[in-house]
Amino acid sequence: MVRFIKQEAEEKANEIAVSAEEEFNIEKLQIVEAEKRKIKQEYERKEKQLEIRKRIDYSMQLNASRLKVLQAQDDLVQGMKEAAEKQLASVSHHHHSYRKLLKDLIVQALLRLKEPSLLSRCRESDVDHVCEVLEDAKNEYMEKANVDHVHIHVDNQKFLPPAHDPKRPGHSCSGGVVLASKDGRIVCENTLDARLGVVFKQKLPEIRRRLFGGTGA
Amino acid sequence: MEKGQGGIQQLLAAEQEAQQIVAAARAAKSARLKQAKEEAEREVAEYRAQREAEFRKKLADSSGDSGSNVKRLEAETHEKIEHLKQEAAKVSPEVVELLIKYVTTVKN
Repeated sequence: MVRFIKQEAEEKANEIAVSAEEEFNIEKLQIVEAEKRKIKQEYERKEKQLEIRKRIDYSMQLNASRLKVLQAQDDLVQGMKEAAEKQLASVSHHHHSYRKLLKDLIVQALLRLKEPSLLSRCRESDVDHVCEVLEDAKNEYMEKANVDHVHIHVDNQKFLPPAHDPKRPGHSCSGGVVLASKDGRIVCENTLDARLGVVFKQKLPEIRRRLFGGTGA
Repeated sequence: MEKGQGGIQQLLAAEQEAQQIVAAARAAKSARLKQAKEEAEREVAEYRAQREAEFRKKLADSSGDSGSNVKRLEAETHEKIEHLKQEAAKVSPEVVELLIKYVTTVKN
């Protein structure tokens, strides 16, 4: 009887021990799995953010360096315009060819404006040249435009700015003429500087293409 | 009569012992379950440390890459710009001449 009681107790104790082991394993596994999953998600998110950050940074750097190159292209092309502006200054030094140019510019302006009475303005240093070629210019215009009369008043009060002088800052003009209708409403700016501006703008795509091959980056 | 009483006492003693055995088993079970929690926590902490170390390494590698990328890009950009400058210097006189020509040529 005593043995029976003891046996029963030991059997029960064994059952409890076995169930303890089972529950131990289950409990431990559940806790570990649940926590590991959370940690895994946490680190995966962190690593993804790291990757995104890396890509954003690289993209920004790439953009910055592209901009640098584009800026350099622009600066170089501007440099060429400035070099041309410098050379433009010496055009008016060759009096013979400059006079012919002035005449042609006047005729061109006359043909553009097609006005019967006009005002012409030039640099103070060019007044003599202009007066010299004025008659020829008028005649050429009248023939080409088929008119028999045109009146041009050469402004000897107000002048275009003088040639560029490094010692004197401010506006300068490399030559050419400005013609306006009598009432001053329509103006044709046929100065060398204005012409350079127009040509430069027109030729810019071609210049860029020649230099940078059209890819532009 | 004595025999009967001795027998009952033996049974009671056995009963007590039995209860103690079962109680001990239950206590051991509790302790084992507590152990489960502790061991689980330790394993989890180890896993976290491992992931953290991996992450740190990725972080270090990444900033190393960034640094070298920046240098590479800067060098490439500098070279591109130098090349552009050379090309421009070569072509500039021609371009300037062309521009001047257009300015000073009038077709009426």
